[in-house]
Amino acid sequence: MKVPIGWLADFIDLPTRDPHELERILVSLGHEVEGIEEYGPSFEGVVVGRVEEVGPHPDADRIRFCRVDDGTVTRDVVCGAWNFEAGAVIAYARPGSRLGAATDEPLEVGSRKIRGIVSHGMIASARELGLGDDHDGILVLDELGAATEHDLGRPLEEVIGLGDVVLDVSITTNRGDCMGIRGLARELAAYWQVPLRDISPSFPTGPEASAFEVSISDPEACPRFVAHQVDGVRIGPSPLWMQLRLLAIGQRPISNVVDVSNYVMWELGHPIHTFDADAISGGQVILRRAEEGERLETLDGVERPLAAGDIVVTDPSGPIALAGVMGGASTEVVPTTTSVLVEAANWHPPSILATSWRLGLRSEASARFERGVDPNLSALATARTVELVALTSGGVPRSQAVDCYPIPRMPWTVDLTAHNVSRLLGPVPSFGDALSLLDRLGFGIDRDGRSARVTVPTHRADVTRPADLVEEVARLHGYDRFPDLVRHGRQGSLTPEQLAVRRLREALVGAGLTEAQTLSFIGQDDLDALGLPLRDPRRVTIRVKNPLREEEAILRTTLLPGLMGAVSRNVARGLKSVRLFETGRVFTARDDPEDPRIPFQPVHLAMVLSGSGVDVFAATGLIDLLARVTDRKLDLRQESLPGLHPGRAAVVKCDAADIGMVGELHPAAARKFGLEGRVAVAEMDLGPLVSGSPTWMLEDVSAYPPMVFDLAFVLADTVPAARLLEVVEESASRHLESLELFDEFRGGSIPDAHRSLAVRITLRAMDHTISDEEAAPIGRGIAAAVADRLGGVLRGSM
Amino acid sequence: MDLERLAGVVSAARARIEAASDLADLAAAESETLGRRSEIAVARRGIGRLAPDRRRQVGRAINEAVGVLTAAVEDRRSALRAEAENALLEQDRVDLTLPYGRPARGTHHLLTRTMEDVCDVFRAIGYEVAEGPELELAWYNFDALNTPPTHPSRFESDTMYLEAFDGRERSGPDELLLRTQTSPMQARFMEKNPPPVYVVVPGRVFRTDTWDATHSPVFHQIEGLAVDSDITFGDLKGTLAHFAREFFGASARTRFVPHFFPFTEPSAEMLVWFNGQWLEMLGCGMVDPNVFEAVGYDPEEVTGFAFGMGVERLAMVRHGITDIRHFYDSDLRVLGQFR
Repeated sequence: MKVPIGWLADFIDLPTRDPHELERILVSLGHEVEGIEEYGPSFEGVVVGRVEEVGPHPDADRIRFCRVDDGTVTRDVVCGAWNFEAGAVIAYARPGSRLGAATDEPLEVGSRKIRGIVSHGMIASARELGLGDDHDGILVLDELGAATEHDLGRPLEEVIGLGDVVLDVSITTNRGDCMGIRGLARELAAYWQVPLRDISPSFPTGPEASAFEVSISDPEACPRFVAHQVDGVRIGPSPLWMQLRLLAIGQRPISNVVDVSNYVMWELGHPIHTFDADAISGGQVILRRAEEGERLETLDGVERPLAAGDIVVTDPSGPIALAGVMGGASTEVVPTTTSVLVEAANWHPPSILATSWRLGLRSEASARFERGVDPNLSALATARTVELVALTSGGVPRSQAVDCYPIPRMPWTVDLTAHNVSRLLGPVPSFGDALSLLDRLGFGIDRDGRSARVTVPTHRADVTRPADLVEEVARLHGYDRFPDLVRHGRQGSLTPEQLAVRRLREALVGAGLTEAQTLSFIGQDDLDALGLPLRDPRRVTIRVKNPLREEEAILRTTLLPGLMGAVSRNVARGLKSVRLFETGRVFTARDDPEDPRIPFQPVHLAMVLSGSGVDVFAATGLIDLLARVTDRKLDLRQESLPGLHPGRAAVVKCDAADIGMVGELHPAAARKFGLEGRVAVAEMDLGPLVSGSPTWMLEDVSAYPPMVFDLAFVLADTVPAARLLEVVEESASRHLESLELFDEFRGGSIPDAHRSLAVRITLRAMDHTISDEEAAPIGRGIAAAVADRLGGVLRGSM
Repeated sequence: MDLERLAGVVSAARARIEAASDLADLAAAESETLGRRSEIAVARRGIGRLAPDRRRQVGRAINEAVGVLTAAVEDRRSALRAEAENALLEQDRVDLTLPYGRPARGTHHLLTRTMEDVCDVFRAIGYEVAEGPELELAWYNFDALNTPPTHPSRFESDTMYLEAFDGRERSGPDELLLRTQTSPMQARFMEKNPPPVYVVVPGRVFRTDTWDATHSPVFHQIEGLAVDSDITFGDLKGTLAHFAREFFGASARTRFVPHFFPFTEPSAEMLVWFNGQWLEMLGCGMVDPNVFEAVGYDPEEVTGFAFGMGVERLAMVRHGITDIRHFYDSDLRVLGQFR
């Protein structure tokens, strides 16, 4: 909310006008200041002048010849405006003055010949002075009550009081009471302990009582409705001082009645609506909820369908305003309006919120009603508006307002104990000090020893509990004045799972992979591009109801599309070798076993490798690394898998469970992501990999030398290398220290569809040196087992 | 052989040995000077024929000569071997500035690192780390956190909801959504654990925000919660000021100003003085009694503080990153700078 400092000064004697000091104080009270702007003249050297003579231009019909007195001399000026006569007090831009300093085209005013007559400077319009949009005529200062002939020659900005500093204050959603100048002034008054200078509107009235009958059919929707009719209104410009304040807060002056409504809203924080009283039919105003199917043409000329929850102001003909959001076109105050019905009403905040959001009509009024406006402010706001309407339009108010307030909001009480305060804030401030802080903020205090009954003023609807009062105490005491105590907890160690995840990431980074974070959303196209068959579990997806884009409408069931996209973007940028991994949640449509109210969202680990030298072994090697880092046994079961190269894919098994897959992307899928060459991928469920394993124990090592020998077997291609190692391991003696497959060979004397696999066996005993004699039968035993179980033939000799 | 002659022989033999040009020549020299047919060997064999008084004198002299020459051969052999090895090594010279043998290394994502850094600051003072689901019930994301049913943060313009997917009707507190904050884990954690509670919760959160330099529909937060029998506002301030010093450096200054959040009362925002300006760094406050009630804690028995901070913002401020999209584009030229 824009807050001109000069306007604040209407309500309190400011000990300082330094905007930065005011900022510091407002921020310390919880009102963030987002900006500080100077609002000042955009002109230089413009003075107050008076038109002494005005007459026709000898050579032109549409412009006039004037003589203008600037208090010192009287000069010839040519003017194209017709909204003034001789005697008018005007803004005189003398030769040498400047206009439009803040615009793209600043204008240096001089003397120049216009149709044969030299015009010494010009008479300025509001728009030329940066004081609004009005360009229909020049700014007539005496008509606007802004200057008199006694001001001739004085700088315009000084005479009209132009120049203020405006604070842009952000009001939190709980503080509707601070959505007006008066509300913020009340905060500052409490801070400085100075009195608030409140307004007390007064105005002469006519003899007639209001002709309107008001009824509220839903007091929840409309707790209060105050209306006051003003007759004999002449619509015209508002006084310049009011226009300047509105300009300072960024509101465009429109007409006296409209400007007064805005002015009072800003001043008091209470939105005001004005109707053309003659346009309301039947002399009746009814406040109710809209019915489905009703329609209303709003002020902006748009015909809007209403929803059942909307609150409407109606007359017997139907809705005439959308309560708290926007007025109706049929009752709008227009230049010909002569009788105005001023309304200050109170509306149910959640309904206003729902309506304004549904229609996308967010206004200064709706922002206030959403936060909640004190219904006890409505009468004052009405009176203030009526006072200013009468003052600026010559209107005569009816003898009294119509005030419909079925259930008045009364102040409520909250019981506060010293313990309530100290348990949240500590020993300082004391209970006595806390209560005096509340007193400064306008709370009523009835103390009884260590407790007090606190009466909450009705504009503080946000305060209903002891904790709310404690916040008020803390706020005014000053957050900075509380001590800084570092609070230690109990135990800060990572769980074994968390530690394992960190080590696993560390290992992958050490192995040359870079961690990526991709979005949690994918599109249907991504699943198609991966070549997943229709029954693939990764196609059982959950869709976002309100996605930002269709390509991001599905919650990911696999990390691969995100990573593939990342790889392909990098390749497109000219990077040759891209190796990425990601850990993150995927989303299933199954119930979470630990909380069946929500879907299961396991954390996955995925890797994608692309670039020269990459093939499936780059990925299987990483699986082996993961097994070593996490101390898990991971096995591969080679089979054809969706989306992967049929001969280069395997299921990853951890203990007995299938936890993921590894392989090369099917070339068709890779091409869908714009990639050439082999792309190695792996994805698995991280949970089983990192689930807690007992603390490991050191195994003793032998002091004796090893016995090392190699065996090579001819085996059918159908026998996986892993199977050979299994059989060798099972059939070797208990002295087996290590087993390594070190050679694969085809061709030569090896039959077709067969290969030779060579293993190096290291035996070592804890208590003796293993001799050749002891090793020979072990080797024979292995050879026999391989022959027996795998059909392998031993090549050469030991 | 008289002793004078012996001296001459030794001197000549020594010169021969020391002049040996390589190991083969040295072997020849050794044979010539100390071998069976060498003058000294011959002389030694003749000792027995000398008079007894001469025998001892000459014998000792010859032994000495043999010792001297043997040592000379060994010295020369060592020298020649070293020379030969040095010649080989010289041939083995390589350019060490060639970029061979460098182990590959990737980088951690800055968001992961930042979350670890923040968690580690709190772990060091005894806070455990917990994580929660990203698809969450409206109950935990809003209701349990004292957010009114009509609050705008629940609107589809802020929060992502889901289409029906398993035939189950979900509405009100049971409605599923993508959590908009890590705060729901406050409620989940307290439901499962009796007080005291000291925990931080890093994680991914979601909002219906369109992409720009500072907004992303996916981002990360770290939530913190401390609940005990005697926690006051000073504990909140001091703990978070400690965090700021640990994270931004020992000179980091902090300022706390009132703010509003539905789930804390009093609420505050922490500003950190960094690079010459006060930056809004996190929201925090004393846990609202309604939150304690929602999770079954007795608000008369415990007090606590909670805070939540944006991970992207922390990282952007600390590392001078001006566009949040860098975190999610996976451009290796950017990721490669993370360290």
